[in-house]
Amino acid sequence: MTSERVRSGRYFMMGNEACAEGALAAGCEFAAGYPITPATEIANRLAKRLPQVGGAFLQMEDEISSIAAVIGASWTGKKVMTVTSGPGISLMSENIGFAVGVETPCVIVNVQRGAPTTGMPTVGVQGDMVQAKHGSHGDYEIIALCPSSPQEMFDYTITAFNYAEKYRTPVFILSDAFVGHMREEVTIPEAKTIESVYRKIPSQGTDPQSIRGFLDEDIAPMPIFGRGFKAHVTSSCHDQAGKRNLIDLSSLDLFVRRLSNKILKHKEDITIVDGNYAKGDVVLVSYGPVARSASAAANEAREAGLPAGTLRIATVWPFPDHEIEKMARKAKHVIVLENNLGQMYPYIKAAAARFTGVSFLAPALIGQIHDPEEIVRKIKEVVQ
Amino acid sequence: MGIPVQNPDGKVRIFQELCKGVEGCGICLHVCRKKLFKPALTLNRKGYRPPVIAEQESCTSCENCEIFCPDMAIAVSGRTGKRRVKT
Amino acid sequence: MKEIVHPLRRFVRPSVVSSTNCPGCGNGIVTQSILRAIDELAMDIDDFVFVSGIGCAAWIPSPFFNADVLHSIHGRPLAYALGIKMGLPEKKVMVVSGDGDLVAIGGNHLIHNARRNVDMTVICVNNSIYGMTGGQAGPTTPAGVETTTTPYGSFENPFDISRLVIAAGATFVARWTTIHPREMTRSIKKAIRKKGFSFIEVHSQCPVQFGRKSGMNGSVEMMEDYRKRSVRVEKAAGFKEEQLKNRIVVGELVDIEKPEMVEEINRIRAKAMRRPS
Repeated sequence: MTSERVRSGRYFMMGNEACAEGALAAGCEFAAGYPITPATEIANRLAKRLPQVGGAFLQMEDEISSIAAVIGASWTGKKVMTVTSGPGISLMSENIGFAVGVETPCVIVNVQRGAPTTGMPTVGVQGDMVQAKHGSHGDYEIIALCPSSPQEMFDYTITAFNYAEKYRTPVFILSDAFVGHMREEVTIPEAKTIESVYRKIPSQGTDPQSIRGFLDEDIAPMPIFGRGFKAHVTSSCHDQAGKRNLIDLSSLDLFVRRLSNKILKHKEDITIVDGNYAKGDVVLVSYGPVARSASAAANEAREAGLPAGTLRIATVWPFPDHEIEKMARKAKHVIVLENNLGQMYPYIKAAAARFTGVSFLAPALIGQIHDPEEIVRKIKEVVQ
Repeated sequence: MGIPVQNPDGKVRIFQELCKGVEGCGICLHVCRKKLFKPALTLNRKGYRPPVIAEQESCTSCENCEIFCPDMAIAVSGRTGKRRVKT
Repeated sequence: MKEIVHPLRRFVRPSVVSSTNCPGCGNGIVTQSILRAIDELAMDIDDFVFVSGIGCAAWIPSPFFNADVLHSIHGRPLAYALGIKMGLPEKKVMVVSGDGDLVAIGGNHLIHNARRNVDMTVICVNNSIYGMTGGQAGPTTPAGVETTTTPYGSFENPFDISRLVIAAGATFVARWTTIHPREMTRSIKKAIRKKGFSFIEVHSQCPVQFGRKSGMNGSVEMMEDYRKRSVRVEKAAGFKEEQLKNRIVVGELVDIEKPEMVEEINRIRAKAMRRPS
């Protein structure tokens, strides 16, 4: 990566801008998007910076064409990204399923805002968590990362690009208006310390008829366009060669299972959690900016002599049930903290309830990050 | 490829197994300037009735049949006109 | 003995023997017209990337053409095509899809890409019906036609697709029918060679769905109907609006020059790279 892409140094930077810088550091060459609060700053920055490094940003006529354009560009071998908020993800959902089905690497940033519908654009809510996994129709797996700070907006964007390339899948960054608009210290490291993954592609000159570019649980080489691979990329159910099959159930079964297993098989490599708990703790499970509050609350609780720990989930999808279970076996109780009515809570409960009690705590008002005092009160309540 | 062709030595070659039948389609019968196509007496393997061409000598190589056939089931050899690549 | 094959067979994917079109479907005539254009230009089919949506016309390049083909979701091929052109600006990007796909659900992308004048060739196969799903009315179905979703007769006015695309700003627009394959090929060649958004509307017979619903008896009758109703654009220029009713104006309707989008982006990029800030 050139120094133009990676502007190493220490900055006081907005989360959204850090995300754009992360995309550049990761090697993003093309991005498309549509203006939407609170994500527009990412688009603005990409529009300015991408041409400087030989790339391009296009504002499209809507979110649907934005994700479609990045999928098309990804199939030409480019690293790509789109940015939006909840309403845009709703529009993009069909195309996200397409990207999953034909195994297209791309990064999708959702800077979540008050919902449902137009809601409250400048307030952060964690309301699109399950949508990231189930927004499109059918059975499929997805990867989603939740940054808690502008620094993580930078770091996790790079991780997202690398996961997208490695696993040939769309990867979500589930941020929100708080983390997106907050300004904090961000360190952009030296370019040589940044890992950059690129998808496997078939060797030049491979016989097109022998290419098996789809449905491999260890990720098939991607027969990108323009290299003579004569790729047949279809949204219909297809086999490993990309040949359409609308008749055999065995083909549909393979299609569905292989796409999911491709992610699930590598779940442990993908999962990123931040655990700070010991046996007998009341463990606070959270993600995104709520985790900052959880961390503060756990410290306060410990100082007051209460057994408290935290488990921050940075990758909410694929759901890290193995990490939840590991923690639940040790925990005295689990409190799930989310800035919503409980979206990850049922999944966490399903994994943990066998081993320990699980409760949910929303903020006093949806749209707020929990007050650490509220959390400590809940811990006390549970300990009694 | 192995697609069988009627009268391989003639000017107008018909790939009868690709044809979808003179009843449902029949475009070649209509566009031939000399009306040289007729329905075959037998059906192809898919159950469609392909055309046959009796008087190859009367063909003027206008290539209408080749150009209009929706199934690429007819090829005319020895073309006139500015052609580019051969078979 | 050398095996005899159709001259365009080499452009067809080896694993594909025949198409799944109905007998007499106009798609096959459009298929040959496109392949013949590539052949006559002495181009390699690998110089192209084909994009299609959902519908019978979208199965023209997929899986038939032996090249990079993106068979995407309904209505969106133009958006993917733009992304592909951004990534592979040296390739010829060709979109082949139907009237429902490009003008109904995909209408927004059609007008915007025409407006942008992105370098690509778009072949819109207009059969005035939604054929693949069993014969529903679309935005080009004439008023009064009884379809499965308009059992009392369609009560909407149809688009003149070419006029729409011209108004949106395309720099090359032509319209032909399946009774004009040679002229179609000539226009396709021009469209491929020309830098800019080139749009070719082709009226194509759907004998099974539209034919039956409009009282036509087969492809030949439908194609002869196209011949009768067609009027060349030069001649139609002298016609009054009522004379054009139920006629199909064919020919090259617009052929102008305008800045092309990818070139503009390259200029901007060169400027940005010289003085980053």
